[in-house]
Amino acid sequence: MNRTMMQASVTMGQIQHKLDIIGHNLANTNTPGYKSRQADFSSLLFQQIDNFLDEGQEEATDEIGVQNRLTPDGFRSGSGARIAHTNIDLSQGNLKKTDRALDLALLEGNHLFQLQVAIENGFETQYTRSGNFYLSALNNGQVLLTNADGLPVLGEDGQPIQLTDNMEGMEIREDGAILVTRNGNTAVEAQLGIVEAIRPRVLEAAGSNRFRLPADEVLAGEGIIENVDGQIQSGTLETSNVDISKQMTDMLMAQRAYQFNARSISTSDQMMGLISQLRS
Amino acid sequence: MLRGFYTAASGMMANQRMQETLSNNLANAYTPGYKADQGTMRAFPELLIQQMNQTTVPTRSGGLNLPAGKQIGSLHTGVYMQETVPKFSQGDLRETGIKTDLALLNGNLPDDNGSLFFNVQDEAGNLRYTRNGNFTVDGEGFLTTTQGYYVLDDAGSPIQTGGMDFDVSENGTLTAADVTTQLGLSYSPNSFDLEKVGNGLYAPGEDAAPIVDARAGGGINFSISQGFLERSNVAPARVMTEMMNTYRSFELNQRVLKAYDQSLQKTVTEIARIR
Repeated sequence: MNRTMMQASVTMGQIQHKLDIIGHNLANTNTPGYKSRQADFSSLLFQQIDNFLDEGQEEATDEIGVQNRLTPDGFRSGSGARIAHTNIDLSQGNLKKTDRALDLALLEGNHLFQLQVAIENGFETQYTRSGNFYLSALNNGQVLLTNADGLPVLGEDGQPIQLTDNMEGMEIREDGAILVTRNGNTAVEAQLGIVEAIRPRVLEAAGSNRFRLPADEVLAGEGIIENVDGQIQSGTLETSNVDISKQMTDMLMAQRAYQFNARSISTSDQMMGLISQLRS
Repeated sequence: MLRGFYTAASGMMANQRMQETLSNNLANAYTPGYKADQGTMRAFPELLIQQMNQTTVPTRSGGLNLPAGKQIGSLHTGVYMQETVPKFSQGDLRETGIKTDLALLNGNLPDDNGSLFFNVQDEAGNLRYTRNGNFTVDGEGFLTTTQGYYVLDDAGSPIQTGGMDFDVSENGTLTAADVTTQLGLSYSPNSFDLEKVGNGLYAPGEDAAPIVDARAGGGINFSISQGFLERSNVAPARVMTEMMNTYRSFELNQRVLKAYDQSLQKTVTEIARIR
């Protein structure tokens, strides 16, 4: 196939992925704790084309060629562009006051709440920045602290937080301690477990605004996630850090890039048409 | 045979090659640090045409014929794409706000064709150069390129940043957890000696001018901006114009080819016809 068409069609496919990512960002402009992603391109492989047909010619062109050439022998032809990686923008989102005791916002970058998620064999810890939590009643007169999807939120000991029901009031302190008032007495009954992602790029998106450690054994473990004393603001939610105007600009750019590449395909197609007309 | 037949065909092939280069530029119009390639065409080595003639020298026996020819001129037998020359001009900067994005900004450089690069190590351990500062931190805390190649410091070893929290000053000093490292930066006095090897990397070609440390002095100025990316220096409007141009040139060559074909047809069907 025509090399031009290949370059352009490969690149168009990749631009489509970029548009998908932008669409995903725009869809999550109102998701608490969502971190926007950005796709950047990288050029693909280059092929070295030896444009000297044979030995004799090489010598012939060398005499005049050497002083006329600027670059090393032959020429290099690229094969388009691809998405290099998707960078997460980890900057803090704006804080929105909700005055609801169970809406929590993490005040420091890269800090995450832990959730317990049931997987095929047992449980897995996943991480999230969205702090809109709920209490769900269990059958044994206890209540469980969960996130919006009903997944248990983990405490400092790595266990789900369960509290006895019939509380008069509940409050979450800045350091993550859960204060419960019963019969007029206030006491700390649980402590939220907060972790810091040291190398957040390694975390894998697990869907529903959650992250998990990659299954890769070499990476999992030390130095990626650390337990920390978090700073929490209760009655507040962290909004998504998606900048709509930036996303729209990126979308326009991606769309134009798509059009440009489509034009190279149609130009190339017309050139093929000219070739086929030679014998008519 | 009709010589122009092949000349026109070689024109079409060269234009197609040119179109490949332009289309690759267009595909990389949004690739950080990409440098546009410019195709150069060259005529095939020429033939010299000589007039075949004789002059008659008068002699007693009625004249002597001597060969005498004068040169008419040269004839080129076609055209080919000689090389793709990257344009190493500075791309403009785009703010991303992401700490692992670094943009290299050329200051005053002593040579006209000089250019500055980040040092990286490819998977085979070779030293490579890049302008694409779209870096990331890998699972082990090293600063890497998008392909996972290590970004090197001035001593040629990978840079351990620990996490995402590091600062890069304008002069290329990376500070992570109170440890400072100098980013490895190279200066090539003639950047045309570098070959593109894919993924935004450059390798020195054969007989390349020695590539030196950018901090070695000699009037090399640069600055590094953290949270910025250098955009590709492809100007889409220009590339589109060149593509239209190349297309028309291709079309013209095709016309010439057809014209030759028609005259051949005349030879076959009209001249040889017996009425």
